[in-house]
Parts: sequence; C-alpha cells; structure tokens
Amino acid sequence: MTGSGAPKDTTRPVPEPAARRAGALAARPAAVLAKRVAMLVVLLAVVFAAIELLPGDAATATSERGEGAAGVAARRHLLGLDRPVWERFRDWITALPTGDLGTSARGERVSDLLAAPLPNTILLASTAFVLTVLAALALGTWAAARPKGVVDRVVDLTSTAAFALPEFVVAVGLLLVLSLWTGWLPAATVTGADGAPARWSMLVMPVLALTVPQTGWNTRIVRGALADQAAAPHVAAARLDGLPTRQVLLRHALPGAWPAIATGVATSTGMLLGGTVVVETLFNYPGIGTVLAGAVADRDTPVIAAVVACSAALITVVLLLADLIRARTLGARS
Amino acid sequence: MDFTRRQLLWTGGTLGAAAMLAACGGGDDAAPAAGGSPRQGGTLRIGALGRTSAITRDPHGTQGNESDYLVIALVYDTLTAPGGRTDNTVPRLASAFTPSKDLKTWRFTLAEGAAFHDGTPVTADDVVWSLRRLRGTPSGAARLPGIAAGRITADGKRTVVLVSDYANAELPLLTRLSTFVLKKDTPDAEIPRAPGTGPFKLDWYRGGNARLLRNTHWYGGAVHLDAVEVTMFQSPQAMANAMLSGQIDVASNVGAVAARTAEARRDIQVVRRPDDMAMPVVMRTSDGPFAGAEVREAMKLLVDREAMVRQVLSGYGSVANDILGTGDPAYAGDIPQRRRDLARAKRLLTDAGFDFSRTYRLVTTEDVAGLAESATLFASQAREAGVKIEVVKQESGAFYQKTWLKGDFYTNYWGTNDSVVFFASKTLTTGAGQNEADWSDKEFDAAYHKVLATADRSARTAALRGLQRIEHDRSGYLLWGMADGIDLAAPKVRGLPKLPGYGRVQLENVWLAP
Repeated sequence: MTGSGAPKDTTRPVPEPAARRAGALAARPAAVLAKRVAMLVVLLAVVFAAIELLPGDAATATSERGEGAAGVAARRHLLGLDRPVWERFRDWITALPTGDLGTSARGERVSDLLAAPLPNTILLASTAFVLTVLAALALGTWAAARPKGVVDRVVDLTSTAAFALPEFVVAVGLLLVLSLWTGWLPAATVTGADGAPARWSMLVMPVLALTVPQTGWNTRIVRGALADQAAAPHVAAARLDGLPTRQVLLRHALPGAWPAIATGVATSTGMLLGGTVVVETLFNYPGIGTVLAGAVADRDTPVIAAVVACSAALITVVLLLADLIRARTLGARS
Repeated sequence: MDFTRRQLLWTGGTLGAAAMLAACGGGDDAAPAAGGSPRQGGTLRIGALGRTSAITRDPHGTQGNESDYLVIALVYDTLTAPGGRTDNTVPRLASAFTPSKDLKTWRFTLAEGAAFHDGTPVTADDVVWSLRRLRGTPSGAARLPGIAAGRITADGKRTVVLVSDYANAELPLLTRLSTFVLKKDTPDAEIPRAPGTGPFKLDWYRGGNARLLRNTHWYGGAVHLDAVEVTMFQSPQAMANAMLSGQIDVASNVGAVAARTAEARRDIQVVRRPDDMAMPVVMRTSDGPFAGAEVREAMKLLVDREAMVRQVLSGYGSVANDILGTGDPAYAGDIPQRRRDLARAKRLLTDAGFDFSRTYRLVTTEDVAGLAESATLFASQAREAGVKIEVVKQESGAFYQKTWLKGDFYTNYWGTNDSVVFFASKTLTTGAGQNEADWSDKEFDAAYHKVLATADRSARTAALRGLQRIEHDRSGYLLWGMADGIDLAAPKVRGLPKLPGYGRVQLENVWLAP
C-alpha cells in the first residue's frame, strides 16, 4: 500500500507508512490548514451558486404581499441581488476574514443573528459528541469481550437499528415518552436573557436524539476495529499469554484500534451538526440548525453561507484532531 | 405583513404524535369560563411563531416573524388599531381622526398624556418622522398607499395631518398595523433599544425571545400584567408541545391541529378568532379557461363549502360567500349564500363550451396549514361534476416567482380580513398591484370609487353592499371558507383578544386569575 504523504480526507482509515505520514503532518500543518481553507472557499462558492439556482430569491421571500413588482425590484437592488452572483460571493468572502459575515435579507447583521445560536449548537453537539464517544467505546468493547456472545449479538443488532433510526423518529419518541406522557422533562427549550437554555434539563432530549443514532454507528466501528485488532499478532500473543480479557482489550487491542475509531468519530461530527437542523427545530432549541432551516426558506444567502462556514470550521477542527490522533498512534507504533 | 410562512416540516410525524396525545387525553372538554374582574399582577408566558434567520427588530421593517411583530406591537403604538365587530378601526395613539369634506385630508389628534417609556411626551413631530421613515422603506408605498412622505405633516404639537392623493374614506385603516411611533431622529443603530409608547417596555430581547415589563404610565389605561415573556417557536408543533407540558401560558396562532389535540384537555382553553385567514382559489379572468364569467360561476357552484370547512379546517372555520373581507362590520351577510349545485354548474359549463376532456392544473403551496389540502379536496369535488383538476404543489419561492399574479388557477392566502375595501383596493380594482385574477370590471371600479368618496356612514354601507354583490357574482375569487385563528391558553389567562389577524397582539387587557 502506498501513502500519498499528504493527509487524506478522513472518511476511511487508510493505513499509510506511519512515520512518513506523521512527519508530513507535523512538518506541514500550515499546508494542511491551507488545503482545508481552500476547500471551504470552494464549498462556500458552491453554496452561493446553489442558492442562485433555487427558484425565487431573498427579495421576493422577504417582501410584503402589498409591495408589487416595483417594490420587489427596489428591494432586490437594496440587497444587491441585481449584481452577478460571483461579485456578491467575492464581496462576502473577502469580508469574511475580518469577521464580517454580511447582512441578512431582513437587514440584521448575520454575526448578531449567530451570536446566541452558535454557542448553543456547540454546547448541544459537543455534549452529544462526548456521550457518543463514551457510549460507543463502552458498548463496543463490552461486545468485543466475548465475540459472538449474547452481549455481542444484542449490541450488534441494537446498534444497527439505532443507526438506522432518523433523529426525527428518536426525537418524537423521546418527546412522547419523556415529556408529554410522563411530564419528566420540558418539551421545548425556552431561553433566558443570556440566550442560553433556561434549564439544563432542556438539553437532555435534544442531546439524546442526536446521540442515539451516532452511538449506533460508532459502536459498530469500535467493535469492528477491535475485531481487526484481535487478529493482530501482538493481541493474539497477549491472549495466549493468559492475560485477562479486559487487559487484552484495553491495553493491547484498543490502542491499535484508535486510528479507525478516531476517524469514525470524526465523521460523526458532520452528521451531528446535520442532525441539529432536525432536532433543534423539533425541540425549539435555539441553535444554528434552526437558523439554517429558516434561511434556506428565505434564500438568505449570507446567513446560509455563514452557518455553513461556522459548521465547516467546527468540522475542520475535529478532523484535524482526528488526523493528529491517527498520526500520533501510527507514529508511536512504527 | 400578511406573510406567515410556517415550516411544515414536521406535519407528518407530529400529526401521529398529536393523534396519540388526543387518544390519551381526558374526555372533559369544558374550558373554564372567562369572567371576574381584572386582577393586577403576574407574568404571562406567551409563545409565538418565528425563525431566527428572519428576526427583524425594526418596527418599520418587514416582520416575517409573528414573535417579532408581537414584541414590537407591545412596545410601540400605532396611530389606530384593529377593532371589533362594530368598527374595524379604533383609536390608539391617535385618540381621534377626522377627514376633510373631500376625504383627502385626515387629521389625527394624539392621545392625551401619551409619552415614551423614558417619560418624554409624544409630539406630532415624532409621529411625522416615524410615518415618513415608514413611507421611505421598500414596503412604504404599499403600507401608506396614496400618501407621499411630503404630505405627512405636523400641525402644532398634537395633530398630524395626512393628505391622500385621492379621496379615501377608509384612510385610518391604513394606519392600523405598521405606523409604529418612535422618537424623532432615532438613529438606526439604536432602534432595537429605542423607547416606545406602548403598554409594555422592553426588559431584554435576545435571539427572538424577549421579556417586557408593564408601562405603569400608559395613556391607554391600566395594564394588568406585570410582565410578558415572549418565546419564539420554530414550528407550531413545538409550541403546542410546550403548551401541553405547561411551559407557556398562551400559544399564539398555533393552528387547528394543535386545537384538535387540546380539545381533549380540560386544562387548556381553545380561543377561536373568527375570520382570521382566507384561502381563496384564484381564477384568471382576463384569458385562459376561466375567462368566462359563467365558467367561474360554475366553479363556485362545484365546491362543497361545508365539507371544505369540516375537512380542511377541522371544523375551525366558517363557510364564505366568495366575498373577501368577511370580518368587515359592513360585510353583506344578506347576499344569498352560494351553495353547491352540480346540475347548474354542469349546465353553465356546457353552455359556455367548457372543455371537459382537459385536465386543469391547480397550483398550490404549503405556506400555511390546510392550503394544499384545500386544493386537493376541491379537485376531488370538481371531479364529481366531470371537471378534471390536477393539483400541483409549488415551493413558496417558485410560486411567487412563477405563478402568483400570472397563473390561470391557483390558491393563495390572505391574513387581513376585516375590510372589504382593503381587498378591493389591493386585489380587485383594475390595475391594482396585487390583482391576482387580473380582473377588470368597470361597474366594480365605479362602485369602489363611490365607496371611497362617500363620507356618510349609511350611504357608504349601501355602496359597499353593491360592491360586494358584483364581487360575489363575477370576480375571479372562489372563497369557500374562512379559517379561525386559534390560540391555546392556560385556564388562568383572561381577556385574550378575539380579533382576527394582527388584532391578536393586543395583550394590554389580559390578566391572570388567581
């Protein structure tokens, strides 16, 4: 197998010459970052173009019924929609490094619109992320302790089922059981003066709705990676030495499984953020998922692009971390 | 401001949830009776629909969010306000308004004691500045039609004079919804925190949610509530869930699906506000298959109005008679109700040479709950008379770009329904900006101008009746029914407005029973 040297996108764990890869990553973090930034710019250009292709525009979406064609045309001019899309994109993207995210179609500053929702989404997604990792590791190793045992088979089945469940279904189920029938948890999120959820209990259901499907996915990855490792000579040797299963799994198999697990978990970031669009709307959680849902309906390009940029930045950070973990693990073992 | 685009993303799934809820609710549907004398104090927690991306803080902006409009309407006052059954326009910041003989010049007198939240008295200059600012927005011409910015002037400290380009007996109707008054020369950057004159003052606003405190010095009388907490909800379902789990006291404009769920609960009042939303079928009158008046009349005879109200609106509504503006005190309720008559419809269509072999495309959207369903049910009703209609759903953006004002046959919705003249001016007279059916009828135009130029109240009502008769007989609108506006409220909430449309934001008379 040949490694390219440059870090690949981390959708699949591709074993590469470890030392070379680690060295490359350590030596050229700037290059890695530059590549990701370039990808982000391309992505944002695609977003601008895609919204342009949708029927209708922000002027019609945000005008009043009484306005008439002249009023809509005036608004179109006001919003700059009469200029070519590449020109608008250029203006927006060149202002981005200064922290200027543009103005919404309704005249609000986009950075103001995102000021409260972004931290809320980070809180929601990161809590779900940590829970996902912990639950997947626990379930995956538990199942791997006795391959083909009862636990293994139950975990295998339920994790597949959980991954197949859309967040929407999980969320409605949680709502019915934990809130509307039992009254244990608040059904919707209400915020205080600081823009954050008024009570921590309002986070429970949104977090669970995001965690359950992703735990299903990652449990399968953990279990699979441990199965691969079980066949590795050093793990087999440890087992033949009569070491306790627990020790074999945690000390010998798990370290080798890290790169695959880190990669799987990292890809979950994107899915978690994608899931927030659904989950936030259902629980009225004030995050960027709801901002995105509304902005698409309004064809509000600066808002959509800002949400995409923020999400992409978050995903990029997590992917970089995953790269580092892989590089370290592979490097340490070479 | 008629836009209430709700996200219907969750309809399918939560319909199931709602059905399950209804099944496990109690059987007693008696809502507690309102009554008793108003009590001072308490905080009202109210939910209203809105989307973060559509947040608007400017009172003169285009408020896409009901939540933003609610907050703005509590903090700021308009010159006039929507009224009840006897008068569709009532005084607000203007305590009186009188026209000149030719009905072109209107003088608005400011209410005694009206002051901003910081104590500064309101002057005519503040009002003039605010109205001119409103007129200068992209929607300004639509909001104050016929009134140029330069013809809004002050006469002394307490009188504002508006001069219309044409006689307009209903001019105060125009000042009801968006003439919010701010202090003169408020800079744009300070608008979100600018003091108003309304019954509540802003405590804080963040991300669509707000807390407001009682304005103890409000000129309009005693305000009962200590505070109002507004929570913005992304979907009616989330708002209904919050209501069912007791997180809010009022779910504003939450819709029929939630009402059906709540009917089973004795601890929730269902507040119905009649004449809230019109969802007419529009038929193009100038060309195309519906250009003949007989064909349009036949279509109006095909529809089973009772069934539409029962099925599309879950019964939360009333049958209408193809006249827009059903909530108008001068609405001509004595014009005979048009009923389903398939035989006559078929005869009219045959006589007019209507092509029964063709399939006609009825374009609709899912912008408001029930709209697409109304198109589908109408199509199946028409089939019983041999008229083949195919329902085409368009996404909102595509609809406004491709179909609205242009199509032969489509559904639409209107949210301000307490004025016949409003619709006449906006959608029915020759060349009106939103003449959805491209209708042009000399008799109707003459009737409309007669109404506007008639000062005497009873003479105007008579003229209005003639106008409605023509509209009923020949216009391009098939208006089968009117949807109720529906709020849910906790039993302790009293004095909620029963007005349609934007009248729902008048919370100054609301109080909480112990």
